[in-house]
Amino acid sequence: MKGIVFDIKEFALNDGNGIRTTIFMKGCPLRCIWCHNPEGLSPQKQLFVKKKGCLNCGLCKKPCEHEDCKAFGRCLHVCPCNLISIAGVEWESDALAAKLLKQKDVFNALNGGVTISGGEPLMQWEFTAEILKALKGNIHTTIETCGFASTKAFETVINLCDFVFMDIKLFDRELHKKYTGVENDIILKNARILMESGIPHTFRIPLIPGITDTAENLGAISEFVGEEKVELLPYNNLAGAKYESVGLQFTDKIELQDKNNAVLQHFKNATLRK
Amino acid sequence: MNSTLYNYYVIDKAHHAFREPCKIDLSTEFSSKGLSPEERVCQRLERLLALEVPHIHPDEKIVLMRTVATIPDCFTSDEWAQIKSKHYIHENGYVSNLCPDYEKTIKLGLLARLDECNDYQKRAINAIISLCDRYKDEAVKLGRTDVAATLERVPRYGARNLVEALQFFRILHYTLWIEGEYHNTVGRFDQFMYPYFKQDIDNGTHTLDSALELIEDFFLSFNKDSDLYMGVQQGDNGQSLVLGGTDIDGNDCFNELSDICLTASKNLKLIDPKINLRVSSKTPIEIYERATGLTKVGLGFPQYENDDVVIPALEKLGYAKEDAVNYVVAACWEFIIPGVGNDIANIGALNLPLSVDRAVRRYLPNGESFDGLMNAVDDQIKRDCEKIMNEKENIWIAPSHFMDILRDDKKYNNYGIHGCGIACAADSLAAIKKYVYDEKSVSPEKLITALDTDFANDPELMHKLRFEAPKMGTNDDAADSIACKIMDSFADALEGRKNEFGGVWRAGTGTAMFYLWFADVIGATADGRRKGEPLGTNYSPNLFTKIDGPISVIQSFTKPNVSRTINGGPLTLEFASGIFNSDENTKKVASLIRFFVLNGGHQLQLNAVNLEKMKDAQLHPELYKQLVVRIWGWSAYFVELDKPYQDHVMARQEYSV
Repeated sequence: MKGIVFDIKEFALNDGNGIRTTIFMKGCPLRCIWCHNPEGLSPQKQLFVKKKGCLNCGLCKKPCEHEDCKAFGRCLHVCPCNLISIAGVEWESDALAAKLLKQKDVFNALNGGVTISGGEPLMQWEFTAEILKALKGNIHTTIETCGFASTKAFETVINLCDFVFMDIKLFDRELHKKYTGVENDIILKNARILMESGIPHTFRIPLIPGITDTAENLGAISEFVGEEKVELLPYNNLAGAKYESVGLQFTDKIELQDKNNAVLQHFKNATLRK
Repeated sequence: MNSTLYNYYVIDKAHHAFREPCKIDLSTEFSSKGLSPEERVCQRLERLLALEVPHIHPDEKIVLMRTVATIPDCFTSDEWAQIKSKHYIHENGYVSNLCPDYEKTIKLGLLARLDECNDYQKRAINAIISLCDRYKDEAVKLGRTDVAATLERVPRYGARNLVEALQFFRILHYTLWIEGEYHNTVGRFDQFMYPYFKQDIDNGTHTLDSALELIEDFFLSFNKDSDLYMGVQQGDNGQSLVLGGTDIDGNDCFNELSDICLTASKNLKLIDPKINLRVSSKTPIEIYERATGLTKVGLGFPQYENDDVVIPALEKLGYAKEDAVNYVVAACWEFIIPGVGNDIANIGALNLPLSVDRAVRRYLPNGESFDGLMNAVDDQIKRDCEKIMNEKENIWIAPSHFMDILRDDKKYNNYGIHGCGIACAADSLAAIKKYVYDEKSVSPEKLITALDTDFANDPELMHKLRFEAPKMGTNDDAADSIACKIMDSFADALEGRKNEFGGVWRAGTGTAMFYLWFADVIGATADGRRKGEPLGTNYSPNLFTKIDGPISVIQSFTKPNVSRTINGGPLTLEFASGIFNSDENTKKVASLIRFFVLNGGHQLQLNAVNLEKMKDAQLHPELYKQLVVRIWGWSAYFVELDKPYQDHVMARQEYSV
């Protein structure tokens, strides 16, 4: 079956055990104001224009004859600096799985594997499940999910994974809605399913200054997860970098603060990523 | 680390105040007296050593620094012109890029070597002993009984302990530079120094900590005079030091002293000595992890050599097993043998993109098949190699009396040729195969016209060739299989050929400075590279290739049979310094290096780079005097480089996470 992927990144060091390759699935049901992958939000293919380095030569705006350029109003095959591309490549699940399986020995030599991330991989859960099925028993697999998906989708996919990273961003229902665009009932329900599944997992909390890193939020999540493993991810201060490239605006400027180990005190079993 | 000593020699460079240029015009004098080259080289060494004024810093244990800042030539420019009219001259005509046998002389002492010496060599020995005696007198005067005691023993007699052995090394190395030899490498330091180290640790003379401090003092000595050494850029001085490696029985020889050397380099953060680490499938992962801790510092150290590939390949070239297992690297990455090697590993360089371009222009207009084009490339590479080999006939090299004491036998007289721009060459042919022959979407005329006009009128074709065609470094067989054939052609062109000394010709994968120099010689290339754009450094992807990551790069670059192109030249991987922010990530990088070695890579250069710092350093050089970057086989202070070299480092592929 077909799926849309917006990036495949080799040498991912922060997406699980060993050296991994991460597949970024396009489309996400959340709209977190701090998102650093805006090209992963829309499930559709999108024009991606890098501004930095642009010579303003205007070549991309001249009419061209290429079939694949028609939908975007720009020529994709002329920029001397290669600044114009399409975020989103259509893959057949068989082809993508075959490409990854070819690297099986490499992943095993590096104690790594494949991580499926996004966007939100559960938004294309059937495609994600196809990939995971094909890799099962051959390559170590991990998924990074926000947990906003139907129980069926969630259960099907986590049962095919060797490891699950799941975000819990905000515990308060209203705040969750305010900052991510959706309420968190489904997420917390799926989190419980994960806790009871026996599948190795870690919960992740992005530390967004003044939003998710408050004592109230961290305390509430801590109470919810108990002794479960938690990883705290300091805010990416480059978050706004790619918005302009996909024609979006990064609205809320978030001040970066120095993160110290103090945030760990809320938890029984947490680590802070440096 | 002794910060007083570090500040004195590195930060303040206060010792420069004692320097004076040599005011004697030796070449005119020698010429008017009609002296022989042998006499000139000998006399120059004697006279320069006699002019030296001893100077000892109160905190240093290893002494000897240059106070005579310049070394006048032995020959006038007219004489050089005359020599060059009859001979091929390599670089500046003096012996360079070799690794002497320090071990034997450090063990026996210079007096014990006198019996085997000719008169010139005896005079050289006497001259250096005399300078060391003056240093000894200065030490006595300053109340430095420790230094005086060391110099009482060495260099006359063999070293008995670590400090004597290190001081002896310093004396030998110092003398070579003043004799006029350059790119004098250090060799397997952790192996030949180990007995002295071990004995001092065992008998309590040193603890591991005090030994580390002494090694740091010694490492500083490589930086005292290095700005006076000749090179293409500051830092290109060849003070390569090799750690680890296997012995003749295949055992890994990494020892406590190797580990101390890694720590010393990490603490000092100096560009000299240049640290290399020999590894193999037997090297435990812990050693890679220790070494990656040094990479993290950002010096571009260590560079890795894979014994599993290098040793058998050197044997195939005719090196005896006992010599091959003892290999070291020359100034940058050329594989040479200490003590018995007289190779000139950098005598020539083949411009692979130029060979391809010539074949393309000759064949493409009427050529019917891609196989036919590949035959034309093979033929052109052979012709170009032939020309290089023919130019290197009737070589003349200045005498090197002192250097010759440190090598018993000139057993190997092989020549090495760098193979430059492999990715540009392979990518150009892969693009031609795809668009001209397979898809037939680009006509030969259209391509040649675009190359001739530097793509000025065809931006779409440039985009296609540059960004849409198969590229070496992306693990794409369409480009990699062509790279394999080009490298084989290069190896075939040299195989079985002999130089005038009966030595073999060695094909290599290095570029040295030719990644910039050759870029101006060739026009636009069929990989979409525009005229004047630099090639990749050494064995690397093109600068504009969109790379998925280091794994694909390693996979691409381990496909060619590098054991046939073993003159040296590393695959270079640049990592954003931020990825080394956790021990876990440092360990992951270590596992990647091991993967390269197990996958049959021959040589690897790994750099931690900070692009933001480099950008800022171009604007505010005064704030970044100690910022170190790796160039092509040596590391340099960024602000001391000419801008094209700075820009190239900044343009290289960088892997972040």
